[in-house]
Amino acid sequence: MATQLIRGGSILLALAFVGLTLISYPSINDLAFRVAMLIIVATSWNIMANAGLVSLGHSAFWGVGAYVGLLTANTGMPLGVSITFGFLAGGLLGILLAIATARLRGFFFAICTLGLSEGLRVVALMLPNITGGAVGLFLAQEARPPLKLIFLLGSIGAILAVAIAIVLSRLPFHYACRAMRNQERAAQMLGVDPRIYRARVMALAGALAGAAGSLNAMYGGYIDPSIAFTLRVTIESQIAPILGGLYTIAGPVLGSGVIVLLAEWTRLAFGANEGLSQLIFGGILVFAILFMPLGIVGVWTKARARRRRDSSMVRGGDPPDAKPRRAGA
Amino acid sequence: MSFLPQAIVDALLLGGIYTLMVIGLSVSLGITRVINFVHGEAIMLGAYAAYWGLTLLKIDPLLALPIVALLGAVIGFLVFKGLIAPVLDAPQENQILLTFGLGLVLQNIALILWTGNERSSNPPYAFSSFDFDTVSIPGGRLIAVCAAIIMVVALFIWLKYGEWGRASRALAENRDAAILMGINVPFLYAFTFGLASALAAATGVICSFIFAITPFMGFDMLVKGFAIIILGGLGSIVGSVAGAFLLAFAETTVAYYVPSGNGWAEAVAFVVMFITLIIRPRGIVGQVTGQ
Repeated sequence: MATQLIRGGSILLALAFVGLTLISYPSINDLAFRVAMLIIVATSWNIMANAGLVSLGHSAFWGVGAYVGLLTANTGMPLGVSITFGFLAGGLLGILLAIATARLRGFFFAICTLGLSEGLRVVALMLPNITGGAVGLFLAQEARPPLKLIFLLGSIGAILAVAIAIVLSRLPFHYACRAMRNQERAAQMLGVDPRIYRARVMALAGALAGAAGSLNAMYGGYIDPSIAFTLRVTIESQIAPILGGLYTIAGPVLGSGVIVLLAEWTRLAFGANEGLSQLIFGGILVFAILFMPLGIVGVWTKARARRRRDSSMVRGGDPPDAKPRRAGA
Repeated sequence: MSFLPQAIVDALLLGGIYTLMVIGLSVSLGITRVINFVHGEAIMLGAYAAYWGLTLLKIDPLLALPIVALLGAVIGFLVFKGLIAPVLDAPQENQILLTFGLGLVLQNIALILWTGNERSSNPPYAFSSFDFDTVSIPGGRLIAVCAAIIMVVALFIWLKYGEWGRASRALAENRDAAILMGINVPFLYAFTFGLASALAAATGVICSFIFAITPFMGFDMLVKGFAIIILGGLGSIVGSVAGAFLLAFAETTVAYYVPSGNGWAEAVAFVVMFITLIIRPRGIVGQVTGQ
């Protein structure tokens, strides 16, 4: 019953999310677009985390997608093509990284992803003939797609990302990934080739983040190395799933909404100083890891399980206060 | 090449500075096995402490160094007890994310309190230099190298002969055996972490008159520090020092001999890290593999 309610509610919410782009209210559209972008990268981060791959470099995929997207658009290609190229570029980077880090786990893997995004930033800075270097890269005025289309694609993209996550969670693929997270060696014994799974997971995660990066770059119309490979994406894409609920489907979505609204609130309440929202994000990260490692979803399921236990106790004959309870029980 | 001697001197000085950056990180990784993303922030706070000490109280950074290091040790000890100890046995991912979040908090507190403006503590010796025929040695960097030598030697003596130093080596080698030998492991963990923080704070003091002080200086150093640790091998202090000098030489070579090499030098650390991880994940002398 409750599950069906949740399912129906989510579909309605998804429809409303797309419908929101049809109204023209710039600040709401902008907010919804930011939520959509974060949902995509957070879902992508979560897909990797589910396979035991903690990424500290999602801005690498994002930034490569942004550059490839803008460069493609500036050659006169339509929006769909540049986003596809961003998608492919992110996926390719994911595969390359998977090959390079084939044997690495945990800390080594995380530091590699961080190094990749920092290294790519330097490369973007040092190749001004292609990327415009420190001056940055503008989207040509005539290549600028209508804003409405971007917003619509953003919402649809977010829903697609979540749909992909849902489909993945039903496939044997999901269980193979989970086995890899828990014990890569044991998974190997059971016939899961970690290298192939890792390449697939990272191709998918990279492609999602790359597509989001290119769409976001089309929206902003300008990138430079520090905007494209900003640490912000890396930070938010990991905080959203952790706050919402690690390894769940709803987690990244919930977390994304909360994070964007929180960032917006601090911006409105305390001015444009980005420090404060980042400070709060850091605090959330510490708090979530220490006190609610399963996130909002975890708190919710725990509460539901408790309620169910309580109600079954009532139905099970004994009135709950028949026996005096021991203190502290 | 006429600037070969200068290049060698520059590389040696840079290697000393990198040694400073990486030594505390190496201690905390080698003994407590905590992936410490706060280390960069400890360096940053040490640098600010030196800056404010000089600006407000007129204390020379080198005089302030022991005090700042002691403060760093105390704060590091408390942070470990309060925040990091609870996730010590949790999956490694949690440590990474927790310390990453903690670093974010500290970085942005600094940003809010002291803005993102670049600062520098300018004691008289910061701009001095010793000039020879073909070579010029900047005074500030020379001090950094001396400090690095003193710290590394002190650390080695402590690890070799000190009571707790020996205990911490035992702990690094085999935690269960250390517990059975009656070593107070929770205390020693926190103590080592405090020691690493003290080294970081001291590094910050020295960096305050070599580099620009910003809230984000620590993070850049941290990323480079991890690259050095991986190059040298996780958990080996000798390896870290070797890695620091190797990276310094690689970067200086690129900076001197590659067109627009100053910019590309920034990417050398990442390239070196990737190559190390692919060819030899345990680094030059590390015991821990990539698993």
